[in-house]
Amino acid sequence: MEALDRLDRIKDRFEEEIKKCGDLSRLDGVRTAYLGRKGELTMILRSLSALPDGQKVEVAKQANLLKREFTARIEETRAGLEETEAATKKDKTDVTLPGIRPRAGTVHPITGTISRINEIFISLGFSIAEGPEIETEFYNFGALNIPLEHPSRDAFDTFYIKGEYLLRSHTSNVQVHVMERQKPPVQVIMPGRVYRPDAVDASHSFMFHQVEGLMVDKGVSFSDLKGVLSIFCRSMFGNDIKMRLRPHFFPFTEPSAEVDISCIICEGKGCRVCSGNGWLEILGAGLVNPKVFEAVGYDPSEYSGYAFGMGVERIAMLLYGVEDIRLFFENDIRFLRQLS
Amino acid sequence: MKISFEWIKEYVAMDAGPEEFAHRLTMSGSEVEAIREAGPDKVMELEITPNRPDCLNILGLAREASAVFDTELKAPEIRLPEGVPEQTGPEAGCVIENPDLCPKYTARVITGVDVKPAGKNVRTRIEALGLRSVNNVVDVTNYCLMELGQPLHAFDLDRIKGGRIIVREAKKGEKIVTIDGIERELEPGMLVIADSERPIAIAGVMGGMDTEVSETTENILLESAYFDPGSVRRTARRLGLSTDSSYRFERGVDKGMITGASDRAAALMIKETGGRACGFYEAGALSLEETVIDFDTEKAAVVLGVELEIEWVERVLRRLGMIVTRGEGAGITVEVPSFRVDIKNEIDLTEEVARIFGYDRIPATMPKMFPAAERKEFSRQVKEKICGDLVSFGLSEIMTYSLISDASAGRFPALVRDPVTLRNPLSEEQKVLTPHLVDGMLKAVSWNINRKNRDLMLFEFGKLYSKPAAPGEETDGGGYRETPALCIGLTGLARENWLEGKRNVDFYDLKGIVEQVFHGLKIMPEFRAMRIEGIAPCAGTGIKGGKKTTGFLGQVAARLLKEYDIEQDVFVCQLELDNVFKKAVLKNRYHSVPRFPSSVRDISILCERSVTAGDIAGIIAEQGEELIRQVDLIDVYQGGNIPQGKKSLTYSVKYGLDIRTLREEEIEAVHSGIKDALAKQLGVTFR
Repeated sequence: MEALDRLDRIKDRFEEEIKKCGDLSRLDGVRTAYLGRKGELTMILRSLSALPDGQKVEVAKQANLLKREFTARIEETRAGLEETEAATKKDKTDVTLPGIRPRAGTVHPITGTISRINEIFISLGFSIAEGPEIETEFYNFGALNIPLEHPSRDAFDTFYIKGEYLLRSHTSNVQVHVMERQKPPVQVIMPGRVYRPDAVDASHSFMFHQVEGLMVDKGVSFSDLKGVLSIFCRSMFGNDIKMRLRPHFFPFTEPSAEVDISCIICEGKGCRVCSGNGWLEILGAGLVNPKVFEAVGYDPSEYSGYAFGMGVERIAMLLYGVEDIRLFFENDIRFLRQLS
Repeated sequence: MKISFEWIKEYVAMDAGPEEFAHRLTMSGSEVEAIREAGPDKVMELEITPNRPDCLNILGLAREASAVFDTELKAPEIRLPEGVPEQTGPEAGCVIENPDLCPKYTARVITGVDVKPAGKNVRTRIEALGLRSVNNVVDVTNYCLMELGQPLHAFDLDRIKGGRIIVREAKKGEKIVTIDGIERELEPGMLVIADSERPIAIAGVMGGMDTEVSETTENILLESAYFDPGSVRRTARRLGLSTDSSYRFERGVDKGMITGASDRAAALMIKETGGRACGFYEAGALSLEETVIDFDTEKAAVVLGVELEIEWVERVLRRLGMIVTRGEGAGITVEVPSFRVDIKNEIDLTEEVARIFGYDRIPATMPKMFPAAERKEFSRQVKEKICGDLVSFGLSEIMTYSLISDASAGRFPALVRDPVTLRNPLSEEQKVLTPHLVDGMLKAVSWNINRKNRDLMLFEFGKLYSKPAAPGEETDGGGYRETPALCIGLTGLARENWLEGKRNVDFYDLKGIVEQVFHGLKIMPEFRAMRIEGIAPCAGTGIKGGKKTTGFLGQVAARLLKEYDIEQDVFVCQLELDNVFKKAVLKNRYHSVPRFPSSVRDISILCERSVTAGDIAGIIAEQGEELIRQVDLIDVYQGGNIPQGKKSLTYSVKYGLDIRTLREEEIEAVHSGIKDALAKQLGVTFR
């Protein structure tokens, strides 16, 4: 039937055109072309009477269906176009303008370094203990086998307050407090602030931080110390780091060792930071001297243990490549923001 | 300390070159810090630990090398040459007045010396080690010092008044010109070597110029003695004079080498000067305590975590100069030589074995671990929570010195309470332990403003140090109080951006941070106006219902800011944390979200400016009781159409109950009750 075929063609054309409608005026054009007074579909509906009787009913039905469909499609499209246009009119967002950034706070690099050290040892089963900074000679020296008149005290030069009171020159005083408080097994690390009367320069400060570690139990050996320190060094400085222990002297440990790691700057080849020898000294360690056990009332024939200590500023300087210790206490916000 | 590689090799045969030698010595405890060419020789700089005075000489380090390389030690001849009979010569003598400070003194007379430059061998060796060659007599004393570690001193015998040495304490007012040409004042307590009239040397530290050996010297008195380490140390420190001699006496010289060193030096001096050895005088006596240790080598192996061969252990200890006798099983008996003052116990021998065995050969093992339930004390957890919160609010943590000047501390007199002062400060700038943290904060603020960083939000965890106020007051073991504290400092712009513009920080920014910190710890704070000199406006804050003030927050007075070179507003807060640690709650518990709806009513109040928001909030809370869920201040306004002297506050009050929906009449009743109470108690009207 010719009339029905025509309707089909009109439908196809309408679909094609409406899809191409990008704005409202074009949509209006489409509406007029099909549904307007002289629109194609309107014309068909108007000329129904000219059709033979047999076709009249069927064509009328299809044409009216189509008129409803067209109207719906046009309205639907209009709604979409209106929304887009409204949004475009209203929204002047220039996405290239800078964002409004929240201000980021920062943790001090020394606090951050202490936390890292703490977390490594916590993962190995250590607990954290703290002790006083204003201390007596007994806890800072006597109990740690550091005799009054001895050159070994040179290394622990001290600020005094009054009478037997002083500012602790190392965190080792906490060892004594912990052992007095508690029976073995003991497994603690002791971070804290310490003081020595050193004039301030790029590598010296009268105030700095240490982390001390202590483990006491039956049958703790030197090889255990090596095991724990080796895990620490690799966790802190990287898995490929090499570690070595050199005999040294501390009054409160025997045997004593200084612990070096392969230089993290030159990877052991030798550079300015490691004075060309490829090694960086980062820790002091050793087996707890039986004299210390005697001072705190542990039986040295029953227990053995190890202790170690490190300077936090030194480690932070190596990790961050900071060459002047004073930077940590100047609190320049540009420095603090870099290292958080 | 410096050593000559060639000199060492004279006493110990080894194939190792200087590099290997240096490495092996370092790894056995005598750290070689540098190697330097010195003609055909190599000079090494060593760091010797204070427990090893026996390594402060060539022979001692040769002994170390013999153990490390497992080879024989060939010690030099330490005796007078044979056929040197005691000859008659000038009379001399020595007496000791203070045997506690000088237990042993020897004086040897050498007569007929020809003082001239020393022979090449002696001279090259001591010069390589950085000593200045003086003449054959002085050079020989230095040669023996370097070789054996015993400091010696040669006097011109003819210049010793009365020809007799008196070892005594210095008298008040006595002076001496030492060989470096400097006149030094002596004090009682310092030990001196004197003749019948005056001090002629500071014992163990430095000789006097007047009795110095010179080209005209014919007769010599050679001193070899043992001085008390503590005494030499004190004297050297008080004079600010450290010498090769004092360095060794302080650490303890070999009690068994006093006479031997004198013999060795005399033998060399005779050869160098053509003189003759005459009288040998001694005073005092040394108690040579014998140290004999039973050493269980099996136990040592367990402590080190290695396996040890007993024969090897015996050989190592012998090479180190010990006398070893085999006992039962793994036991040996070790007689310690006089020069090893550091070895007193079994563990000391274990260390000897370990360091020669090599720390690098000890395996790494893991001990049995004892994880505790709570790894961090609660206070540390609270501190970490506060720190995390402040960082998330955009604040940066700072760290300042806990030693400040008296003047800095005193700028806020109200915050200084029983301060703790150092007896031996490095300088006035670092004398007092922080009684408050405001000074450090302002210094940090100032530092940054001077570098054009003016917008700052900073915080610090520190301590407030004070003396115990009353005897018996509770302290944390140190006898002094160390109160953990938090300081916050805000200055400059709170924000500056193209969207919202600029706004300076304000008291309420600081208060909001403090409120939020407390909120994070589930603590209800209280704030009230407070007077602190130098801080205004100022609020005191405490834990609601508590008696103690936790701290303060406010604005620093401009006159004080001037002291820090700061010209913009700074707001600071200082909180003492001991009570906060006690009251903080870190556990979270779920509370059911309200199932019944809330109703919100606004109250617009017109009141005198003197009425505080705290007064109003108090009345609302009291009247509303449990029907109130939340009260928010949503507007504060004065000026405009508000009458002079008045202000307008608008509150939004949220009513609700957890068990049912509130009826309209109930809400109305409470709400008008609140308004009535406000009108009656504060005389406010409503808009």
